[in-house]
Amino acid sequence: MNLEQLLADTDIALQAIQQQALPDIKQAKDWQTKYRILMQLGKQLPPLPEKMKQQELLVKGCESRAWLLHYHDKKRDKHFFVLDSDARIVKGLMAIMLCLVNGMNSSELAKFNLSQQFDELNLKPYLSQSRGNGLTAMAAHIKACSSAT
Amino acid sequence: MFDVSSFRRQFAFFHHHPDWVYLDNAATMQKPDAVTEAVSRFYQQDNSNVHRGAHQLSQQATAQFEQARQTIAHYIKAQYVHEVIFTSGATAGLNQLAFGLMHTVLKPGDRILLTQLEHHANIVPWQLHCQRYGVIIDVVPLTADRQLDLNAYQQLLALKPKLVSFSHISNVLGHIQPVQQMVALAKAAGAITVVDGAQGVVYQQPDMRQLDCDFYVFSGHKLYGPTGVGVLYGKTQWLEQLTPLCGGGEMIDSVSFVNTTFNNLPFRLEAGTPNIAGVIGLAAAINWLQQYNNKLIIEHKSLLLNAFFQGARQIKGVAILSMPVHNAGIVALNVDGEHPSDVADILNQQQVAVRAGQHCAMPLFDYLALNGAVRVAFAAYNTLDDVNQCLLALEQAVEILTA
Repeated sequence: MNLEQLLADTDIALQAIQQQALPDIKQAKDWQTKYRILMQLGKQLPPLPEKMKQQELLVKGCESRAWLLHYHDKKRDKHFFVLDSDARIVKGLMAIMLCLVNGMNSSELAKFNLSQQFDELNLKPYLSQSRGNGLTAMAAHIKACSSAT
Repeated sequence: MFDVSSFRRQFAFFHHHPDWVYLDNAATMQKPDAVTEAVSRFYQQDNSNVHRGAHQLSQQATAQFEQARQTIAHYIKAQYVHEVIFTSGATAGLNQLAFGLMHTVLKPGDRILLTQLEHHANIVPWQLHCQRYGVIIDVVPLTADRQLDLNAYQQLLALKPKLVSFSHISNVLGHIQPVQQMVALAKAAGAITVVDGAQGVVYQQPDMRQLDCDFYVFSGHKLYGPTGVGVLYGKTQWLEQLTPLCGGGEMIDSVSFVNTTFNNLPFRLEAGTPNIAGVIGLAAAINWLQQYNNKLIIEHKSLLLNAFFQGARQIKGVAILSMPVHNAGIVALNVDGEHPSDVADILNQQQVAVRAGQHCAMPLFDYLALNGAVRVAFAAYNTLDDVNQCLLALEQAVEILTA
């Protein structure tokens, strides 16, 4: 799979997650339901091919390995991402994070308040609970992409 | 019979967290009230710096501090009290050893011997200094059941390593190494012996006279004591050969810009103000622990371990890496095809505290060809109820992950 295809497929998957999964997550009554949804999200995303899992894409600070690929469409000023992780819950949470920022322009990305968004989804505990799951590192990484050229 | 409920009642932590099942004991243990009270009593009533004050308060603090050293020396059956060096933990002890033996004892071309089971603290310090000094590191491999390969150990000893360093108990698998035999073999081969007691110290009272190793390190916080304090035990003749890793404070005798001469043991290896409250807390932990019969504690822990093994084996999809025999109470496991951090995450949702990952033992996981494991570690204050709750949570994890 080439990069263009991967970005396009991920874009479609993230849009679908935003439309379908976010309301479900928000309404989930218990953690079990939430987790069952999160587990499915990772499966909807195209996996990052092994040869593309380069060291420089690794998000540091994870107990599990997670990769984040960023692409800035400069003509349209839109930011796109591809992600993968060994761990399914982390991958699901990252999918949610990315579906919120997918396709944003640089100023939107810079202004984006992830912790507020996660709060609205009743997911905030997952952001703060552990440095170890790499979500905080991932969030910082995404924010930094707004100023990357 | 060991009365686990009265034992457990002495830990305020469980009173504050009645809904949690704490099974991350190999990372750090909870502290009995005897320890937290000793630490706060020191700060509230006795706080003064040690070994330097002209005043009576400092002399009292010093007496208390040195009494703690005696308590610990007595507990580990050191021949001399000055053989107990206070450090910030097992890691600091091993770093002092690796640094301190280079040049004085270990020379370019010498070999040292480690094992495949070691955690990073017993690998990286050696690596750092061995690379600089051209000292060669050999590694004892494991057998198929993940015990140390003692035949290979003897073959590697034939290469005449100057030093052998190994852990008493694997921090990942819980397997107990035959330290007594390993020390004896190493000594017969003429090697200096270092035993990493990080996990071993709480399993069994270390007996330096019987074990007869040259060095032994442990951390206080894995023996019901405070964090940030530990012990480097060494036989006098070897401690004297260590170059101090840190300089400053009470460790010197005289200083000029031309030369510095060092104080006597133990002070020459204890630069700066020590963790006085930590040392007093550690001695309090040992004094407290000694009222219990360790045989009964070992029996209680093996009861928990067996119940856990029995239950976990019934859960489809759970792969256990640890062996139930010669095990100090640690179980490494995985759910087939799932990442350990996902399993631990779901256990966490159910308020079961375990560790997931590579447990600072990456070479072991490379060897096992695994990207990590979930580690369940039992302590004396855990109950059969804890075991059952953990098993139920594990079942739930498997159900959610494999749905």
